[in-house]
Amino acid sequence: MTVTAFKLHPLRLLVAAITLLCLAMASTADAQSSVRPPEGAVDSPGITAPLGEASDADIWRQLKYGGTEPPPVVGDNPILEVPGRPQNVFEALMEEIRPSETVNVTSSSGQPRVMQVLGEEWRLLRREIILPYAGWILVTVLGVIALFGIVRGRIKIRGGRSGKYIPRFSMAHRIAHWFLASSFILMAISGLVILLGRTVLVPIIGKEANAVLTSAMLQGHNLFGPVFILSLLIVIFKFMKGNFFQWADAKWIIKGGGLLGGHASSHHYNFGEKTWYWIVVIVGLIMSATGMLLLFPWVTEVLAWHQLSTVLHAGGAILMISIAMGHAYIGSIGMEGSLDSMLRGEVDENWAKEHHDLWYEEVTGKKASHDEDESAPGAATAEGSA
Amino acid sequence: MTFLEFTEGPMFYFAAALFVVAGLWRLVGIVRLGKKPDLAPARGSAATGFLKGNLRHFFPRGLFAQRTWMHLLGGYGFHLGLFVLFFFAAPHIAFIEKFTGLSWPALPRWGFIIAAEIAFAGLIVLWVRRFSDPVMRLISDWDDHVGTWLTFIVMLTGCLALQEAHDSLRAIHMLSVNIWLIYFPFSRLMHAFTFFLSRGATGANYGRKGMNP
Amino acid sequence: MSETSKAQTAIDTLVNQIDRDIASYLEACVHCGECAEACHFYEATHDPKYTPTYKLFPLVKAYKKHKAPLRWITQIFGAPDEITEEELRDWEELVYDSCTMCGRCTLVCPMGIDIAGTIRKVREGYAAADIVPEGLAQARANVERTSSPMGVTARALLKQVEHQEEDTGLKIPVDVEGADYLALLSSHEIMASPEIIGAYAKIFDRAGVSWTLSTEAYEATNVGVQIGSGPLARQLVQRVVDEAERLGVKYVISPECGHAYGAIRWAGPNLIGRSFKFEVLHILELLDKLRAEGRIPPGERDTRKMTLHDPCQIVRRGGLLKEPRRLLDDACSNFVEMKGAGVTNYCCGGGGGVSANQRAEDLMIGAFGKKLEQIDDLGNIDAVVVPCANCRGVFEDGLFELDRDEIEVVSLGQLVADTLADDPKTAK
Repeated sequence: MTVTAFKLHPLRLLVAAITLLCLAMASTADAQSSVRPPEGAVDSPGITAPLGEASDADIWRQLKYGGTEPPPVVGDNPILEVPGRPQNVFEALMEEIRPSETVNVTSSSGQPRVMQVLGEEWRLLRREIILPYAGWILVTVLGVIALFGIVRGRIKIRGGRSGKYIPRFSMAHRIAHWFLASSFILMAISGLVILLGRTVLVPIIGKEANAVLTSAMLQGHNLFGPVFILSLLIVIFKFMKGNFFQWADAKWIIKGGGLLGGHASSHHYNFGEKTWYWIVVIVGLIMSATGMLLLFPWVTEVLAWHQLSTVLHAGGAILMISIAMGHAYIGSIGMEGSLDSMLRGEVDENWAKEHHDLWYEEVTGKKASHDEDESAPGAATAEGSA
Repeated sequence: MTFLEFTEGPMFYFAAALFVVAGLWRLVGIVRLGKKPDLAPARGSAATGFLKGNLRHFFPRGLFAQRTWMHLLGGYGFHLGLFVLFFFAAPHIAFIEKFTGLSWPALPRWGFIIAAEIAFAGLIVLWVRRFSDPVMRLISDWDDHVGTWLTFIVMLTGCLALQEAHDSLRAIHMLSVNIWLIYFPFSRLMHAFTFFLSRGATGANYGRKGMNP
Repeated sequence: MSETSKAQTAIDTLVNQIDRDIASYLEACVHCGECAEACHFYEATHDPKYTPTYKLFPLVKAYKKHKAPLRWITQIFGAPDEITEEELRDWEELVYDSCTMCGRCTLVCPMGIDIAGTIRKVREGYAAADIVPEGLAQARANVERTSSPMGVTARALLKQVEHQEEDTGLKIPVDVEGADYLALLSSHEIMASPEIIGAYAKIFDRAGVSWTLSTEAYEATNVGVQIGSGPLARQLVQRVVDEAERLGVKYVISPECGHAYGAIRWAGPNLIGRSFKFEVLHILELLDKLRAEGRIPPGERDTRKMTLHDPCQIVRRGGLLKEPRRLLDDACSNFVEMKGAGVTNYCCGGGGGVSANQRAEDLMIGAFGKKLEQIDDLGNIDAVVVPCANCRGVFEDGLFELDRDEIEVVSLGQLVADTLADDPKTAK
C-alpha cells in the first residue's frame, strides 16, 4: 500500500451513515487478495464480477475520488480500463443508496464521492508511520541520553560544593513542578500503552491481557487528563516569570550553551530551560485541547478535527516524552546539584555561579567570577535544560 | 472460586474483620491509658472544649492559610474528594448494599468522576510536597509513604476499573482494597479516627481554661 | 549515674508521662509539617530540625517501643530500637533551646496536637536523667538554695520593699496573717523592676485591698515547670500553698509572669494532688475585677502609641485574652493591635526556660526578630506593653541586640498604677 502523506484537506462534512459505509467498504477491501468473495457477499449493482477477481484499482480510485473525471494518475501507470464494467461505479452505488434522504455526499471539488479518503489517509498515517516509529523514536532518544551519559559522565560542580545554599524555587513552585511531573508520568505510561499496546505488548502478553490492560489504561488516561491540565495550567502560571527570552539568550545560543567552550551566561533560566518551558506551554496546551476533543468528541462533527487531534496528540506526546526524558536526566543524575533546586528549593552557590551566573548576581549582589572557565572548555551551563 | 470471588469473598471478610477489630483495639488501647482528673478549678467546660476543638481544627486560621495555601488546597481536595468518592460512587453503594442491605442515592457518574479528579490531584500534591521540602523529608517516615501509595493504588485501580467490563480489573481493585484495609489499623492511616481524640484532648484542656485555639 | 542507666531513667520517666492525651497526640500526627510554619524558631532559621513535631522524637520512640497499642503485632515487622543517651543528647537542643512551649504550633495543627504540652512531658524525661542545659541546671541549683532561680533571698526582697516604701510613702505589708491577698513576684521583677512592688502598693491602697507579701513564698517563677521536673515543680508549688494556707489568705496573686501563672493556676493542684484552700488570681484578672468594680478609676490616659504583646502562658495557654485589653483601653489613648494579636500572637522567643539558657541566646534573638517584625509592621510604636517579666527581659535583650532600644517596654501593672485617677482624698 502506498503511504500517502498527511495533508489537511478542506473540511468535508460526512454524516454517520457514510462513515459506516466507508468502514464497510474498507473491510471489503481487505478481502481483495482472497480468491473467492466472502460468503454471503452481495454483488454491487452494476458490478458483474465479484470484487477481487481482477485488479480493482480503478474502481477504488473512483470510489475514493468520485465523479466522472478520470482518477488521478499514480506514478506512470495509466488507468486500466476494465472491459465489461460500468465506467462509473460511484453512480451505480449511489443509485442503490440514494433512497435514504440522510445521505448527503459532497466534496470540495463538487464531485460526489463514496469513500472518505481523509479517513484512509489518517488510518495509514497512524498505522504506517506513528505506530511503527513512535516506539523507535523513544528508544532512540533513550539511547542518545545513555550515550551522552556515558561519554560526558555526570557533570560535576566545578570547584565542588560550597555548602552554602541560595533559594531558587519556592514551595509552591516545587509542588507545581512535581504535580505536573506526576500527572505527566501517569499520562505518558497510560498513553503509551494505548498507542503501542497492539504492536508492542500483544506479542509479549497476548491479546487477552492487552485488552484488559488497554481498557484500564484508557480509563486512567481519561481520568487523569483533567488532572494533567490542571497541573499544566498551574505550572504555566507559576513559571512564566523569568521565562521570557532575553538578550543573554542570544549570546547563550552563539556560545552553544557553553558546549563550544567558554562560559555562556544566563539569568534565572537559560535558553534551553526557557525553550523547554515554552514547549511545555504550547505542546502541553495542544495536548490538552486535542485530548479534550477526543474525550468529548461530540463537540464537533467535523471528522477532520478528530483525525487531526489523534495525530497531533500522538506526535505531541512523543515529543514531550522525549524531551522530558532528557530533562529528567539532566535534572537528576546527569548534573550534580540540579536536583537540589526541586527537592530543597535551594541550590549550592557554586552551582548557581556556574550555571546561572546572572541570576546569582541578581540574587546575591555578588560577582560570579569565571576565572577558571578557559581551562575547562565545555563545562558550563548548557547541556539542555535542568 | 475465581480470583474475583476470592477477593470479594473470603479475603474481603478477613480484611474487613481485621480492620474493625484491630482499629477498635487501637482506639480502645489509647483511651484505656486513661488520664488523671484535673484538679485545677475550671474556667470553662471541658466537654464543650472537646467539641469546639474538633470543629475548630477543621478550618485553617487565616494568618497561616496564606502561607501554605497549596498544601491546604491539596489537603482539602484529597480528603473531600475521597469522602465523596468513597460514599457516593454508585459501584461502592452497590457493594455496600450487597453486604448490609443499606443503600442511599448515588452521585451521577460525572459527579463521581469530578470527585475522583479532585481527590487524585490533592493526593498527588500532598505526596509531592512530602518529598520536595526539607522539613517534610526530615519528618516523613516509610509509613507516611506506604500509606500514601496504598491509598493511591486503591484509587488508581478503582479508576482503571471504571469501564466495569473486566472482572480481572475489579479483582485487582478489590485486592488492593483488602491490602489497604489490613494495613490501615496498624499505620498512620488511623489518623482518620484518632484525629477526634487528639483535637478533643487539646480542646478539652483549653476549654477548661476558657480558650479555644 | 552510669551511662546506660541515664538513658533508662529517661525512658522510664517518658513512658510514665504517656496518658490518653499524649498517646492521642502521638498517634494522630500525620507528619504534615504545618507546625514548622507556626514556629518562630523555624521561621527565623529555616532549619528543618526546628519543626515542632520533630522535637518530640524521643517520646515518640519510647511510645512506639513501650506503650503503643498493637505494638506486639507491629513489632513482628521490626521492633524499634531503644532510645540511646546519644540520641537524647542530640535532641537536647531541640527540646530545651528551640521550644518556648508557646503552643502556637497547636493553632495550625490540623490534628490539634498540643505539642507544647507534650514537650513539657519530654522534658520530664530529660530532667529525670539530668540531661539539661547548663543555664537551667544553674537556675535549679539556685532554687534549691534560695527558692529563686536568680538567687534572690528574702533579705534582698525586704531591701527592695524598703526602697519602694520610701518612694511611694506607702506601707507595704509583709507576712501579714489574715490578709485577703498574697502577692507573688517573679525574681526578675524583684531584681530588675522593683517599682512594680510600689505599683501594687499604690493600686491596692487605692482599692482598699488587704494584701501582703511573704518572706517565705515570694517567688512565683517555677523552674520545675521550665526544666521539666515534676518533683521540683511540686516542691515549689507546695511552698506557696503552705505559706498561703498558713497566712490564711483567700487569694494568691500570680504576677506578670507567664510560666508562673500556668504553674500555680493550672498545674498547681495537679502537682500537689489536691485542691487549694484559696483561689489563684492573675494580677491582670484582679486589676480587671477592681476596675470593673470601680475601685481603681482610670485617670488621664497615656498618649504614647502602644501595642500589646500577648505572653503565651497568660493569653493563649492561660485564658486571659480580654482582661489585658480592657485594662489597656482605660490606660492608653493610642493603642493598636498587632496582626495576629491575641491567640495567634508570636512568642517573645525566650519563654519556657530559653531565656535562662545562655547557649540558646542566638536562637532566642533570632526568634525575637520575628516578634520585632510583627511590631514593626505597625510602624512607629513608642512602647510595647508586656505583661510578663520574663518576656520583658527578652524584649530588652532583643531590642538591645538588634539596636532598637528606642522602643520602650512597659509592664501593664505599672501602666495601670501610673494612669490611676488622682485620689480625691489626697487631692484635697
